[in-house]
Amino acid sequence: MADLAVAPRAWGGRVRLLAWLQEYGVYVSVLALLLFNVVFTPHFLEVANFRTQLIQVAPVVITSLGMALVIGTEGIDLSVGSVMALASAVVVLYLGYGAPVAIVAALIAGAAVGAGGGALVAYVGVQPIVATLALLVGVRGLANVLVPQLTEFRNPTLITLGSRSVLGLPLVVIIAAALTVLVAFLVKRTTFGRQLVAVGGNRAASRLSGLPVRRVLVTVYLISGLLAAVAGVLATSRLQASDPTSLGLLMELSAITAVVVGGTPLTGGRVRVLGTVLGALLIQLLQATLIKHNLPQSWTQMVQAVIILAAVYAARGRRA
Amino acid sequence: MSRTSGLVAVALAALLATAACAKGEDSGETPAPAGSAGQQVVQSQGAAGPTCTLQSFGGQKFDLKKDVVGFSQSEKEANPFRIAETRSIKDEAAKLGIANLRVTNAQSQFSKQISDVQQLIAQGAKLLIIAPLNSDGWEPVLRQAAEKKVPIITIDRKINAQPCTDYLTFIGSDFYQQGERAADQMIQALGGQGEVAILLGAPGNNVTTDRTKGFKDRIQEKAPGITISFEQTGEFTREKGQQVTEQLIQSRPGTEGIYAENDEMALGAVTALKGAGKSPGQVKIVSVDGTRAAVQGIVDGWLSAVVESNPRFGPLAFSTTQKFLDGEGIPATVIISDQEYTTANAKESLGNAY
Repeated sequence: MADLAVAPRAWGGRVRLLAWLQEYGVYVSVLALLLFNVVFTPHFLEVANFRTQLIQVAPVVITSLGMALVIGTEGIDLSVGSVMALASAVVVLYLGYGAPVAIVAALIAGAAVGAGGGALVAYVGVQPIVATLALLVGVRGLANVLVPQLTEFRNPTLITLGSRSVLGLPLVVIIAAALTVLVAFLVKRTTFGRQLVAVGGNRAASRLSGLPVRRVLVTVYLISGLLAAVAGVLATSRLQASDPTSLGLLMELSAITAVVVGGTPLTGGRVRVLGTVLGALLIQLLQATLIKHNLPQSWTQMVQAVIILAAVYAARGRRA
Repeated sequence: MSRTSGLVAVALAALLATAACAKGEDSGETPAPAGSAGQQVVQSQGAAGPTCTLQSFGGQKFDLKKDVVGFSQSEKEANPFRIAETRSIKDEAAKLGIANLRVTNAQSQFSKQISDVQQLIAQGAKLLIIAPLNSDGWEPVLRQAAEKKVPIITIDRKINAQPCTDYLTFIGSDFYQQGERAADQMIQALGGQGEVAILLGAPGNNVTTDRTKGFKDRIQEKAPGITISFEQTGEFTREKGQQVTEQLIQSRPGTEGIYAENDEMALGAVTALKGAGKSPGQVKIVSVDGTRAAVQGIVDGWLSAVVESNPRFGPLAFSTTQKFLDGEGIPATVIISDQEYTTANAKESLGNAY
């Protein structure tokens, strides 16, 4: 007020700060939470602890990767939690043929649901939120029909998938890391990745310039369904039981949070893979911190809300 | 457009094929016979309180065998408790020759349960057996039932209303006492000393509150050497029970006992302990329910004790109705006597578990 000339510069500074926060906020938050825990949480700096956190976050990371791609096309996939449940149901239904066949069947089921949702979005023109909402409800129902109650299994291959370690690293974590690299490569280095970003950035222009918009959309939802099925199989093998009633419940919200907090705008045209992984880690660490300090878990939800709002605010400031 | 339908058709076909050629793992286990094993026994009939007769209720005599009888289940039959509960009602009805039993399931949605029961009343039900999802919010249903003088028996959870005017009676377990008995088992397993964690049930549920309070009160009263250092919700599911236990044993290695407020969370805790390389019995687990898998857990040495919460309401619900029709007085609450499974009896009682 006193010095008008300062105002624009301060404004510019704030915009720059918000832009920086959107870009790196998630890294800073994860680092801060790690530091807090190192200082205040007993037994935090132990290998077993990092194993626990990484194992628990792996299915969330895998689902969030697919969600990031979908959101990159200005879409959304609410069906991922139900697809996890379907994969969980299918894998035990086919266990009689052996674990590999059962896992492939589960992945096919997930990809089929994804492709179905993608077809509704791309060819019928149903809004993504509506198409995948229908799948969220219907696919959970289907999973419950296929496996009506929690079913334990004894297949050693499927059980070791969830508990085995290779070179000291849990297999589940290795799979999540490999898929992260794969998706990052897909986005950064392939024609499909560039098409995806273009479709999300400006669909009309993409269509006019001859990009296969519909095919890209169907493929993106198919990948999201496939990744959710992978997460569902891994979660099932870790639980050593198929539980379609509660497995993957509210996973779509965790995944969307991870993507948004990771800096991918809901308006599409941009996919941040590493940011998404960090977003998932942030939610996991937050939950772990509250549990380890024996604080009510309802707090997690409230803190999560604050983080989401902060992320969205930072994104808004950037565009201003 | 033809491409669209093609894609959708392929997706649908793939899903249907999923169900068509499924082949599950050989489980090697046969499901429990429905027989009379583990039948409910009445513990107390609320002796002090007034009783309700057909006359004081103001109802009409009806024929249990021929008239419409409605059963409204609250939750999906996806967990052993609900499966056993619904099966018990159906089996007993078949055994007694009750021809017109109508069963509904509210799928955990309270508004659906309300309309389910209204439908049953509209279909001319002369008796309603309700497993309520919530305790409150039943006024519209109660008013309709009262107009037609349809007696309501609520099972496993209570309705907040006036017995003998709004409903006939409540048959169920004493959840507070289940918590107390779990505490007794924990005290015994730990020799009265040690650090205990609680896996709480779903928040905002009277089962959770009562099982927690009963446990804590008893520990405080009987075993001051036991400290409850950790309590987190596992939301009554196996997955959550496993995840919370993984965090627990990593950050609080001194934990010697885990009280799980249902069997599913206890089994999740067992998976977590196995994953952390613990051996059976290293951490003492006590839980509530009495499902077959949990009682098997006692036999295998992972669980110390399971306090039963008996879901087999069929025989008691219908015998209570018959007494009511015969003009006998019915108490406002019928508390059933739950069993206990310990290392001493788990093996031979496995057949009673559900």
